[in-house]
Parts: sequence; C-alpha cells; structure tokens
Amino acid sequence: MAQIFPERMNQLPLILGMALPLGLVGAIAGVWYFFSPWYTNVGYQPTQPVAYSHRLHAGEMEINCRYCHAMVEVSPAAGVPPTQTCMNCHTLAKKDSPLLQPIRDSASSNSPMHWVRVHELADYVYFEHAPHLKAGVGCVSCHGRIDQMEVVHQKEPLSMSWCLDCHRDPGPNLRPTDQVTNMRWVPPANHAEWAKQTIRERHIEPPVDCSGCHR
Amino acid sequence: MSDAQRPGDRRDGGGASTVEERLGTRTRYWRSLGELEGSEEFRGWLEREFPEGAAEPPDGITRRTMLQLVGASLSLAGLAACRRPVEAIVPYVSAPEEIVPGVPLRYATTMPFGVNGLGLVVESHEGRPTKIEGNELHPATLGAASAWVQAAIYQLYDPDRAREVLYQNFASTWPKFFDWWKNLHGGVAADQGASLAVLLEPFSSPTQARLVADLKRSFPQARVVAYAPLGDESVYAGIAAASGAVYEPAYHFDKARVIVSLDADFLLDDRDAVRHARGFSAGRRAGDAMNRLYVVESALTITGIAADHRLRLQSRKVAAFAAALGAELGVGPAPGATSDFDTKWLQAVARDLKANAGKSLIVAGAHQPAAVHAAVAALNGALGNVGSTVTYVDVKETMRSSTEQLKELVGDMQAGKIKVLLVAGGNPVYDAPADLDLAGGMSKVQSRIRLGSHVDETSAKCDWHLPEAHFLEAWGDARCVGGPLSVVQPLIEPLFGGKSTIELLAILQSGEPKPGYDLVRETWKAILPAADFESSWNRVLHDGVLKDSAPSPASPRMDSKVMGQLAKGSGDGAEGLEVVFRSSAAVYDGRYANNAWLQEAPEPVSKLTWDNAAVISADTARGLGLKTGDVARLKLRDRELAVPVLVVPGSADQSVSVALGYGRTAAGRVGNRVGFDAYALRTTAAAGFTVGAHLERTGATHRLVSTHDHWSQEGRVIVQEASLEEYRKNPKVAQEHEAELHPQKSLWQDRKYAVGPQWGMAIDLNTCIGCNACLVACQSENNIPSVGKDQVSRGRELHWIRIDRYFAGQPQEPESVVFQPVPCQQCENAPCEQVCPVAATVHDAQGLNVMVYNRCIGTRYCSNNCPYKVRRFNFYNLTKDTPETLKMAQNPDVTVRARGVMEKCSYCVQRLNRARIDAKLAGKALQDGDAKTACQETCPTEAITFGDIRDPKSKVSEIKASDRNYNLLPELNTRPRTTYLMRLRNPNPELEKA
Repeated sequence: MAQIFPERMNQLPLILGMALPLGLVGAIAGVWYFFSPWYTNVGYQPTQPVAYSHRLHAGEMEINCRYCHAMVEVSPAAGVPPTQTCMNCHTLAKKDSPLLQPIRDSASSNSPMHWVRVHELADYVYFEHAPHLKAGVGCVSCHGRIDQMEVVHQKEPLSMSWCLDCHRDPGPNLRPTDQVTNMRWVPPANHAEWAKQTIRERHIEPPVDCSGCHR
Repeated sequence: MSDAQRPGDRRDGGGASTVEERLGTRTRYWRSLGELEGSEEFRGWLEREFPEGAAEPPDGITRRTMLQLVGASLSLAGLAACRRPVEAIVPYVSAPEEIVPGVPLRYATTMPFGVNGLGLVVESHEGRPTKIEGNELHPATLGAASAWVQAAIYQLYDPDRAREVLYQNFASTWPKFFDWWKNLHGGVAADQGASLAVLLEPFSSPTQARLVADLKRSFPQARVVAYAPLGDESVYAGIAAASGAVYEPAYHFDKARVIVSLDADFLLDDRDAVRHARGFSAGRRAGDAMNRLYVVESALTITGIAADHRLRLQSRKVAAFAAALGAELGVGPAPGATSDFDTKWLQAVARDLKANAGKSLIVAGAHQPAAVHAAVAALNGALGNVGSTVTYVDVKETMRSSTEQLKELVGDMQAGKIKVLLVAGGNPVYDAPADLDLAGGMSKVQSRIRLGSHVDETSAKCDWHLPEAHFLEAWGDARCVGGPLSVVQPLIEPLFGGKSTIELLAILQSGEPKPGYDLVRETWKAILPAADFESSWNRVLHDGVLKDSAPSPASPRMDSKVMGQLAKGSGDGAEGLEVVFRSSAAVYDGRYANNAWLQEAPEPVSKLTWDNAAVISADTARGLGLKTGDVARLKLRDRELAVPVLVVPGSADQSVSVALGYGRTAAGRVGNRVGFDAYALRTTAAAGFTVGAHLERTGATHRLVSTHDHWSQEGRVIVQEASLEEYRKNPKVAQEHEAELHPQKSLWQDRKYAVGPQWGMAIDLNTCIGCNACLVACQSENNIPSVGKDQVSRGRELHWIRIDRYFAGQPQEPESVVFQPVPCQQCENAPCEQVCPVAATVHDAQGLNVMVYNRCIGTRYCSNNCPYKVRRFNFYNLTKDTPETLKMAQNPDVTVRARGVMEKCSYCVQRLNRARIDAKLAGKALQDGDAKTACQETCPTEAITFGDIRDPKSKVSEIKASDRNYNLLPELNTRPRTTYLMRLRNPNPELEKA
C-alpha cells in the first residue's frame, strides 16, 4: 500500500510546534499593540510653539472655551483661534513676556502660527463639532478635563468603537446644552431619566451606520 | 445571423430569454453595431466582467509581480510606519469676518460663453472654488449647468495653464510689459493707431464694449476685430437679411407646441443650450399638451434623438427642404426641381406648423448658410411665432465674430500695415480658416502680443505671452441672450498672475494698469441708479443678475422675399461627399482640449472618448470599403486630412461629420495629439459644410475607444418607451411585465425602513436628453479621477453615472434612440452586499447602499454580482500624482479613494449628511428639496428627482406614483430605490405607420 502521506510530512509536528507558539506570540503582540493607547495615541502630548496653558486660561481664569474656539457651534471644525484672539488680551496682559514672542511675531509679520494637532482623526472620517454640541455632548466627554491640563494631551482613544459606544447609547454623555462647555458639571442623581426623556423629546438619533461619518 | 445567436437570447436559461420571449412584441434595443451583429469584440465585453487583460497594468509589470514586491517591502516596513505623522494647524493671523473654516461659501458669478453669459453659483471652501452650479435667479441657466460649465473648475486648476509672462519664450514680468508698451504707446498714438490691431473673441459685455470704444477714441484708426470659429455668423447674417438689422434671437421652447429643427442641435451645440433644454423639457412634460419635435439632420445628434420624427437628410439638402416647407406654408416660391425627400413627411410637418401657428418654432443649425437662417426667420415671421416662441433683441455692447473682418486684417498684416497686434483670448492660429494663413500674416507684424490661458498654438507665433485670468479669477460683466445683465465676480486671486481682457484693453488704451474691479464699477455707475449705487451693486453681486435689465424685444418684420435666395449656392446635387464641421460635445471649438473631464466624457451619441472621427453612415462606409477604426484620407479639393472613420447609425448617406477642436499640438499634457484637426479642411467659403469631398482608404487603422459596449445589459429590456397614444390607451404599459412576474420571495430578512428620511430617486427618460452634464457634475462633486484613453479601452472608466444610449430598429435608420442614465440603483435587496466577504458594502437606515472604502479589499465580487453594472474599481492609485493645482479642485467633503477599492454612486451622501446636520442645527425638520444630488442639481431638463420616498408629499414620491414609473430588472427582486419613468413619444398620427 502506498504511503498516504509523503515523507516530508514527518516535519509537520516540528513545523507546527514552531509556528503555533510564534503565531500565539504574534497574536498577543498584535492585541497588545493595536488595542493599546500606543496605537490609539491616548496620552499624545506634543510640545506647542507657545507653552499655552489651558489650566491657566480655561481653569483658573475660567475663560469660556468658545472665546477662542469660536466656530465650534456652527462649523465641523472647532477652530484654533487666529493670532488676533491672543492679541486681544496680550497687547495689555503680559505684553513683554518672552514666552509670547512667537505670538507677537505672528501678529506683526502677518504670518500664521503653526500649532501641532493633538486630536487627529483618520482622513476618511468626517467628524463635525456643531451637531454634537447641539445635542448636548460636553467638551469634556471627548477632550477630558482640559481645564486641568497644563499641556493638552489626548484623553480618549478616538477610535471607531469608542465613537460608536456613545452613538449607540448617548444618554450618559448628554447634558443640558447650556452646560456643554462647563468642565465641572456633575450629572445630577436623576440624570439617566432626564437623558432618556431628552433623547425622546429632542430626537437625538446619532447615526450608527457607516454613512453617518464616512463619505 | 439567426436570432438564436444574438447576445440577448443567450445562456441565461430561465432568466433573460424567457423575459424576452414574454416581451416578444417589444422592440429590441441595442447599443452598438457590434452588439447587433454579435461581433467578437462585443462578446469579449459581454463574457467578462472586465475585459481580457483588464488586470494587467499597461507597462508590462503584472499585478502578481507587483504584489510580490509590495508584499516583501511591507513585511519589512512592519510596525515602524504605524506612527501617524505630526500635523500642523495653521489658523489665520486675523480671521476674515465672513469665513467660517469648514463651512463653504457660495458666490454668484457669470461665465461668459461667446455672446452669452451663464449665471452661476460657485461653492468656495476657504477661498478655493470647488463646485459650480447654475444660478436659479439667472435667466440663462435657471439653476442648471452644462458639462462645459461644470468642467470650468478643471479649466481653472489646469496644471498646464500659462504661469508667467513670457517675452520671446523667456520669463518676463508684467511691469516689463507695461514699460515696453509705454515706449511704443506714443508712436502708435501718433499715427492714430493705424498700425495697431486687436483680435478679440466675440463678447457681450458692457465694460468690454466701453473699453473697445475708448480704445477707438484714443486710436481712431486701430482695427478691432472679433473672431471665433463657432461664432454663429450665418445666424446673424440670415436674420439681418430677413429683417434688415442684426438681432440676437432668443428661443422660447417652453411656449412651442410644434418644433422643427433644420440641422440644429439646439439642446447641446448652442450658446443658449441650457435654457433651450429647460424650455423643451417643460413642453415635453405638458401631458396632453406635450410638444412635438421634428428634426431634419445629417448626423445623429441629441436633438435628433429627442425628436418624435427624424428625417435623415444631408446638410446640403436642408436649404431645399426649407424652400419646400416654405412653399407648403405658402411663403416664398414653389421650388423648381423636385426633391428626393419624403413629401408626405414634409406636408405633415407643414400642416402641423400651420395648425399651431404662433405656438410653433423653426430653428436652423449654425453650420447652415445665412440663406437658411433668413428663410427660417421669414417662416417664423409668417407663422406668427415672432414675439411668442422667438424674440429678437437688439443687444448693444456686443461684438460678434466676423470672418470677413479677420480676412481684411490678415490682408493688412500681409501688406505690412500692422505693426502691433494683440490677440486676446481664443486661439486663432489654430482655429482660423485654413485658407487665411493667419500665421503667415502674423509673421509680418513686428510686435505680437498674446493674452492666453495656455501657451498655445497662437502664443507660439507671438513675442509676448501674457497669462489670461480665468473667469473665476477676474472681474467682468456680461449680457446673456435676451439681454439681462450680470456681473462676473471672481472667487479667487489669479493663480498665475493673469489679467483679464478688459484689464489688458485698459492698459493698451492708457498705458497704465487699472484693476478690473474699478473698470467694471465704472461701467455700472452708468447702469445702476446713482442714488444708491452701493446697495444696488451689492444686490447685483448677491443675486448674480440685475433685475429687469433685459431690453424689451424688438418686433422686426421678416421679409419673405428671402425665401427666393434658398435655391442658390446650397450645393445640392453636387458630386461627392459633403463634409459637415460641428462643434465637439467635449472640447467645443478646441478650447477645452486640455480638460480631462471633458475628454473622457463619452460623446453623447457615439460614446466615443478621447477622440474625434469622420462620422459616416453604414451604407456609405460599405460603399467606400471602410469600417469603424479605418483611417481614411478625407480629401477636399487641395486639402486633405487623415482621419479615422466611425460608423454611426442614423447618419445621412454621402455625408461626413467631423467634430472640430481636436488634433491640438500645444494644448497641454492632456490635449496634445488627441484626435484629428478638422480645421485643416475648413475655409472661409465653407465654414459650416461643403461638398465635393472624397474619402479614401489608407490601410492604416486607429484605435477608437467607445464606451457603448461597456457594462452591457446583455439584451435585457431596461429601457421602456411608448407613444403618447399607446400610453393613453394603456397607462399601465410601463409596469406590464412586472405584473407578469411570479410572486417574489427574498432569502433575506426585509428591513423596515420605518424612521428618518428614506432616500430615493426617479429619472425621467422622457426628458433626459443625454447631454452629459450630470456625468461631469458627479465627477466634480465626488472627486472622480480621469483614467485616460488606454484605461477606458480596458473598461476602467470611473464615472459613477453612465449614460446608456440604446438604438431600436435598423442601423441605417433607427426607429428610435433612447438615453438612460444609470447610477447605482441603491437596491433595498442589494446583490452586492450579499457577496462582499468583508462587509465593505452595507445598508444604512436611510436606505442607502453604502460603500465603505476602508473595509474594501478589492475582491470585486460585488461588481460581478451587480446586475446593473454600476460599480467601478480603482485599478491604480490615480490620485497619488494629482498635480497640486488640481488637488485644489477636490471636494473636501468626499474621501479621495486609493488603489484597490470599489466605488460607486453614493447618492451624494456628503450632501445628505450636510442637509441632515444643517436641519438639526437650525432645529427644523428636513424639508423636501433640502438635499439635492449633484446630478439632480445640474440637470438642464430636471429629469432627475431625488428626495424622501417615505414622505408622500415629496416631489419624488409624487413622481414615483406616476403610471410611467418602473424598476430596472424587477425579476431579480432587488427593489431599487432609483426608478425610471418610461419615455413617451408624441408622433404625428398622420405619419404613424399603418
């Protein structure tokens, strides 16, 4: 009777013995990397051209987010403020501070600042700020306690599953629309009920289909 | 060939053949002669989703080797490349008040088009114009736009545009030109400008007219001439002959019940085509009062396709036809010789015209001689149409093309009388009549100045090349046909430092540069009330048109004696072939030759891309021993042109039609050496058509690439048409074969589609004229790359909407021709979704079949399983090397696709999301009409309707409720969201076959 398996099949247990552990290690490494903040960039904290402190401006001085990010309610992009916005105050306050030299240079030479983007989404995602604010999602839900950050870093993974968690169950992240920029807002005890009612009354129906964000 | 072998009846077993059997009484439709004959080539297209070799790149590296190489390098690159790049955010220093980053702005402007001005609304993203729409308030566009208008965005960002001032081919600057001209200015002024000549394009602009008048005041002896190869000279000459003065005719097709076209393609090849199409479709929709169109023409055009009755007649016989029609109507003398056209047909037309006097309209093609236009004016006058379906306006501030004056100018140049010549716009060295030898004349002129958008054939003969500003970069104004005034408002600073013609005229006159803004406002100070000039000016800029600025129409009396002129000089009866010169549906007169969007848009009738050809009839081809793709020598007296032959059904025998504008040598990277230059045959005496030509075989062949066999429906019946009479008798005729189907059950669980808007589309085949506007609009909106001739020949064109054209009947004389635009049908039960292994194409809650590029791994199973063949695959990374300027044309709201992914019509999902979010932000519910697709918005005939089918009051629901509504391939139970309305014809009962 002819051999069913050719002779080289004798190598099979050896190959499997090597390949399986390697595969397992690979799988673990994959999960370890792709599911980690390393991949999603959580904690990304680049150095900006000017050491602007959100803790000072938004936290201690309680300047409203919309003073600088003025387009957030009408545009897909919240907008990084033009140099002029900085100069509104800094022609008077700290007008000689060496830390502010790049801002003064930008204003006098009419050349724009180059800030480093912290929160970056993939190019095939179309995120819009305005409808989120309209629905009552607070800044803090995605950006964290900006008012406590000396240097801004990325708080949340901004991954698709993270987006969908909220789109499927927006309740916990909703708040009254006049509180969206309030970093210290604490949900009241009956928040779950309130959210349920709000979702029903105001037709808050976040899209959960691909076409909601991918075009 | 027996029926059994025909492609339509093949292999499908139960499916197609039984349906066809059941529909045996229906007309059989075919797209190409190859399909009708069952040729090898056609079978190749049929049997493979993508033809032989479609997976091979053109340069010899196979995909497999490519994958191996890519695979190896990828494994090495590994995780190191996963870190995302650092991106900068660059805000304004001081933000302009009106700009909100991320929210586009819209401005009204005007596109000058010969002596017409087309009012537009242009979308601008952070100062970057990206998309053009028609302006609803403007009488020349009424919210619609043609393919040429849509493609103006490409024209603006064309990377081959002239980028700098050149003096004798070396880089120079505008100040150097100003100094140079100042030195010359005194001398030219001293001889009263006798040595100065200015060659312009025809225009209808108050500011330009004022500046030309100023120039003539400074240089009384200077010659100012306007020339355009398609300048409608015979139209004006004819009107002048009949009425005694030159008027601008404006046709009102919406008011016409009976329309007769004498070789006129008024739906496409006309400066006012958009408005014509809108008016014609309104008459088409009129139910029982539906209009009737008779077309007499030599080559099949989209107007001929729209006709209820079409008479195939050589262009040289049209004059005789007009004379005979006149005699039937009792205008003009009876024609002497008997003609060989169908007198029964003629009499029926005449009776129909008479019965609808005052509500009829006769138009003639621009390539017909002045005598025919005079006769048409006289006939319209006699029928009482003047003042109702056609109005004549005496438009001042206009300058029309004059070959006569160009000829005189060339004579003066030859005689050495001209020392300084300015050629502003146009491209006369390329497109002036071949017998004039303009280039030779120019070589005798000492200083030649050229203002042009490209360094083209004319620039090569000039000392100075000055970059010309695009209309989206410069101020100007225009009067549209019929007279309303509008302003050309720029949306962007000149990209390459260009100046407009009016700015150059001002420099020429005074020696000093003056901003175009000031020049235009100076003119408008005389037009607008002085008391509140600023607010009226802002109102004009906002609306895009000055209200009530049309002069009241003149009421000229048409002299019917001109009918007697018809017998002379039409060349009827002459030996040999006739050659008809036509504008190209893609490149017009050659000006759009470097526009890849237009070059790739299939010509509406033949579906030819990236080429022109000598179009002849099947019988003529057989007689000459020629077939499609054979290169023939087209001889016309002492001139000749080697040109490939293309057999198009419905062409008149012994007639050769050639599109102008091809065979450019200095158009740019896209347009150079594409097609064949028919201007080489065109002379002053024969600008429209001429007789006595010969076609000879050369033995060579040329690859003509037509898309008509791509994405074949294999003979399945997907177009439906009926006569108005049939429809009245049996209103359910469109759904008849649906009713015969077995009850259908799906394997899949049905979705409810119970909340939110449920998007749907209806396409009315009755009003679709096949003009390609939707196709180019879609390309502009959705960042669709052009692929080039070679790739089109492999069936890889990426257009999301294709416009099928079906013939029925015999190839010599098709009984009927139908257009059918086919985008993704957005099936509720989509076959593509069922086979995608990675769920890259799925359904959403609004009923869209969405394509998720990022999931797609390029198996192409979806395309194989799509019965409508609407999915397109990116075989290459076509956007990788997009030039920087063209990147500016891209819509930031749509993903730019990479290699290896499928794409298809998304119902402009970006616009749907925009409308949804805007409604949400405004705190309102979504209204019908808030969301419009790009194809719908641009359609000149409003053939495409789109909206929420769950709302019974929406326009699309109302249209879908029509009897004429039908699904494509209902036997497949795909339940498409896009449905079609059956085409109706309104034949004259007298001419109906027994």
